[in-house]
Formats: sequence, structure tokens, C-alpha cells
Amino acid sequence: MTWFNPAGTDWTYASTRLITARMITLWLWFGVPIAAWVVLAVWVTPWLWIGAGAAAALGVWFSVIIVWQVKAHAWAEREDDLLVKRGRLFRRVTVVPYGRMQYVEVHQGPLSRMLGIARVQLHTASPGTDAHLSGVLVDEAARLRDRLTTQGEAKLAGL
Amino acid sequence: MSQSVYRAPREWARVHPVSPILGGWAVFAAIAGGWFYTSGPQWLTGSPVEPGEFDDFDEFEALGIHPALVIVAAVLVVAIIVGLSYLSWYFTQYRIGDDAVYQRSGVISRKQRQARLNRLQAVDVVQPLLARIFGFAKLRIEVAGGEGSATEIAFLRLGDADALRNEILVLAAGHAAPVAADAGAVAEAAQAVAVNFDAPAPSLRDLAHMPEGVPAIPSAAEREMYAVHLGRLVGSMVLSWPFVVMASIPIIVVMAVFVWDANIDQAVAVAVSGGFVTAIPVVAGVLGYFWSILNSGFGFAASISQDGIRLRHGLLETRRQTVPPGRVQAVHLKQSLLWRRKDWWRITINVAGYQDETAAVSTLLPVGTRQDALTALWLVLPDMGDPDPASTISRAMSGTGADGGFTPSPRRSMVYDLLQWRFRGVKATDKALLIRHGWLVKEIFVVPHERTQSLSLKQGPLQRALRLASIEVHSTKGPVIPVADQLAVVDAIELLTQQAERARRGRQRQTPEQWMAAVGLAEEQA
Repeated sequence: MTWFNPAGTDWTYASTRLITARMITLWLWFGVPIAAWVVLAVWVTPWLWIGAGAAAALGVWFSVIIVWQVKAHAWAEREDDLLVKRGRLFRRVTVVPYGRMQYVEVHQGPLSRMLGIARVQLHTASPGTDAHLSGVLVDEAARLRDRLTTQGEAKLAGL
Repeated sequence: MSQSVYRAPREWARVHPVSPILGGWAVFAAIAGGWFYTSGPQWLTGSPVEPGEFDDFDEFEALGIHPALVIVAAVLVVAIIVGLSYLSWYFTQYRIGDDAVYQRSGVISRKQRQARLNRLQAVDVVQPLLARIFGFAKLRIEVAGGEGSATEIAFLRLGDADALRNEILVLAAGHAAPVAADAGAVAEAAQAVAVNFDAPAPSLRDLAHMPEGVPAIPSAAEREMYAVHLGRLVGSMVLSWPFVVMASIPIIVVMAVFVWDANIDQAVAVAVSGGFVTAIPVVAGVLGYFWSILNSGFGFAASISQDGIRLRHGLLETRRQTVPPGRVQAVHLKQSLLWRRKDWWRITINVAGYQDETAAVSTLLPVGTRQDALTALWLVLPDMGDPDPASTISRAMSGTGADGGFTPSPRRSMVYDLLQWRFRGVKATDKALLIRHGWLVKEIFVVPHERTQSLSLKQGPLQRALRLASIEVHSTKGPVIPVADQLAVVDAIELLTQQAERARRGRQRQTPEQWMAAVGLAEEQA
């Protein structure tokens, strides 16, 4: 057993659309500086290609990380709690009991709305609980929100 | 002496009319100070203004403003301030219902808030210095909820504050609505309580021979469990790193003079000229640190009553906290190296709802012996699910490895943790999770299973290389953040699996919201 993976757990992985969304954001950030380096390299001195190359390499490295992260991000609804796992290099599994959920929030930015995905944020009474599900398909997000809310109400325990 | 009875209001009532002054005393003090400085006798204020040499009004006249105008403006400003405070006081009202304390405030935009008693986490009676001098107090009601969920009712006469607190606790415990007794009976009852822990400190009220009065509902009888004497509190400050560093500076200077044969005059000159300016903020900071310890730890006493734990402390500002049973979310015991010889411990707790001034309100024991620490822990977690909790904790305090039934960190973790790895360990009893670590500074976390919010299992790349992992236990907001680092992955996964299960069972059998109703004591007492 190398990592937490209880038998019979039905993991739902994040949608690959999340990769698209994060790539767009990433390359919007990297595109401008790379273009600037390229323009300067053509006009001023070819030495500046080094800068362009470095920026591009960094962008590629971040892209790889994005793919890794999204592929590693998954959640599973169990009988009494929700499991959330994320991260490849720095791995993390969080167990959030339904009875501890104070409220559930579904967040959608313009880009994720275009791609039809959403982010589901779970709130407990602890500020340490950093449990959010990214790249949830919209229908699934609505279903999750309702299910988590009903489960939470049914099993809500006092503080 | 005539006895009056303090009652918590069932109908909307206002706080005491002096509240704006007590709350905004700093502003008034500043105004008074400014007036005193400019208009007080010169020999008192020490201001360089010679009478007759300089006159405010001459200045204004030079600017072409009539002196009368200045006076009118000043009067207007004061009138507006007084008027606004009066309005704000007039519109701030509170009342207690069977299931909540209600408060409404705001002149233009009205604000209503209610503190639901079944979500009650703690009730504090706080007396800032000025309020204390005149026999007033404010009540802070903490309920489970988000940021700023505390309800503060300021200021009430001390008796009113006590009456309100007692009624809140009685209702929250699940007793039926209390029957207001007549004054005579209540007074008798109050005298029957041999040790009146709540005896108010003497105040100007006593000098003015105001009627003493008793609350309509007496506070629950209580027994003092431990107290921190001034000597030990001062001792704990002496045995702290800031003090040791401060005290060692002259020694270092003297040593420098002898060892390097430096000119002592020169050293002193350097210290005074260069060092002084930089030292002032440092010294101020250190003194502030000591002051905060002294101010919050002075006269610290903890006792137990039906309402839960009572903590009482404070030098200038006193605070009497009541935390009902089962409201403590996590406990942290800590011993710094300097305290080890004395075997002194400090305990902090997480209580949901305590959001502000956490340092002042979250201390369960500022400094105490091992025995005090064990008592304190028993106070907040009477049932640790361990046949011999005292011995288990005691062994956690000084043990290493698997001592005391702990699951230790594996030997291989010494690569990252050469000095500490022996001291790391976790243990789960039926009711609580214990985390132990620390080589020089010893720390123990205790988290009841039913109070666990959520759990995380974490692993970084370096940990992965050695098959190690960390477990985080998420508690409510507070100073206690329990983490178990450098466990073997297998142990960590096992712990996470079992802990999720234990927390589930714990939630099912946890202390219900109305603690007295749960054990059938409510009917018995009624």
C-alpha cells in the first residue's frame, strides 16, 4: 500500500476540461512575456532568444504540472464522508464528514462557464479544511451540491 | 441592607446609560487630556506656555475669527458627539427569549442579531478597568457560527450581567424557563452557597452604598480546581526566553570588557548612544509581552460547575469565562525547555466562537505543575476513553518511542528529523486522539474524536522517498492546530481510516446541545 486508496472506493476524476481552462489562463500569462522576448530578440540582439526560450520552457513545465495535477485530482462520495485527493508531487487526501459540512458553494468564472465546469467548495467549522473540488461538470456540480447539502442536513452534528 | 433582585429582561431593554462613556472612555480621556494640557496650571502640565504670553484666542483673532465662534463650534462638536452616542445607546436593545438572546442596534440601518442558545459555546463576563471601578460589566456570548458571530452586550450593571449570564446558562442547559423567585428566597439561596466564587470585586459602587442585590437565578455552585499564584506566574515569566535574553545582556557586556579588555567607558558610551535608540522598541515589545502575560494570567483560577468550566483571570481587565461541557474542541499542552526542571506546563484550548483576542480567552492554564495540567485536561475532557488517563498523559509528557502505547515515527525518519524523531508519536484512545512531539519544547495535542472537523493526509516528495506522511486534524479556528508529522505511510493511512470511523462513532454519541436535559437532570432539579 503506497497511498491511501480504500478498497471499493469509486473515485470521480476531475474533467479534462479543467486542463483546457488552466492552460488558457497559464498561456495568457506566459504568452505576453514570450512575445515580448521574441520581438526584442528579432529587433535588438539574438541573445534575447535565451529569455524567450527560458520563459517557454517554464511555461511547458507548468503545463506538465497542470496535467499532472488535474489527472491526480479526484473525489469519492462514501457513505458518511467525502474523500478529496489532489496533488502529484505534494499529495493530499482530505476526509470531510457530511455531518461537518456547514455549507457548500458552487463557483463558476467566465472561463469555466464557457467550458461547462465549476468549482465546488466545502465549508466546515474549521479554517484548516481546504476541501474544494475543481473541474466538476456543471450538472454533476448541481447534483453534488444537492446531495452534499441533504447529506449534511441529515447527518449534521453539533459543533 | 436592602436586597434587590437582578433579572434578565424578557422584554426589550437598553444597556446601562453610561455605556457610551465606558466604551468610548479613550476619546473622552483624550479630550480631557488635551484640555488639561492647554488650560491646566502650568506647574502641573509642565507645558512651556507662560500665562499671558500666548493665548489661543489671540491666535484665532489674528486669523480674523471671532473668539465666540470658536467656543460655539467646540460646544457644537461636543453636543453632536454626545447626541450621537445617546442615539446609538437609545437604539441598542437586548432581551432574552427561551431559545435565544436577541440584540438590535443601529440608528439608520437597523441590525438584529440573535444568539441561539442551543448553539452556545461560551459566555464571558468581561470587566475592563474603568467599568470595573464603577461596578459595570459587559457580556460576550459566543455561539457556533462564522466570523463575528459573538454577541456583545455592553455595558450592564455587574448584577444585571450576572443575572443574564446565569439565565442564559440555565436555558442553554435545557432547563425549563426558570421561575423567578422572590427576593427573600433568592437572598437566602445566595447565602446558602458557602463559597461564592462570583463575589464581585470591590468597586466604587460599594463605597456609594448602592444596594448590592442578587441575581434572580443564582449561579450554579462551583468548586475551584486549581489556581495560579502570582509567584508562579512571575516565575514563568522569569523562565522565559525574552527574560533570559534581557538578563544576559549585561553579563555579555561585562564579559566582553574582561575578555577583550575593552574600555568600559567606551562600551557604555556605545551602548548608550547607538544601542539605546534601537533598544527602545525592543524593550517596549518585551515589556508589552510580559504585561500581556501578567494582565491575562493574574489571579487565574479554574473551577467546575454544572454549567461547565469557569475560568477567572485578569489584573486590570477581569474576565470570567464559562465554557459549557463538551465545548472544547482541541487541547494543546506545551512545555518549553526552561520549564522542564520545574515540570511546568501551559495549556491552550480551541473553543468555537472565540475569534477575537484568542491569546486572552484561549488559555486554560497559563502555567502549572504536571498535576495542575492533568487536572486541567480532566476538566475539559473528563472522559478520555482511557482506563488510566493520568498515566497515559504523563507518559506522553516525558516518553519517547512506543512508550505509553504510542505509535512512534519510524527510525528512518531521523534523516529529516535527527533530534526530534524519537519524541514523535500518536495514540488514539476510544474518545480522543493524542499527538506527541518535541525534543526541547515538548508538545501534546489532544483532540476528542467527536470534535474532529475533517482530516488530511499529506505527503511531500522528500517524505515519499522515505515512505513517510503527515496527518492534519482540522479543528475550529483557534490557537491549537494539531498535526502529526513524519509517520510511516502505513501507520498514517491506518490512522486516517480508523480516525474517520472513530469520528463518525464519536459524532453519534456526542454530548447533546442541551447538556442537562440529556442526562435527565433537568427534571430532577425542577
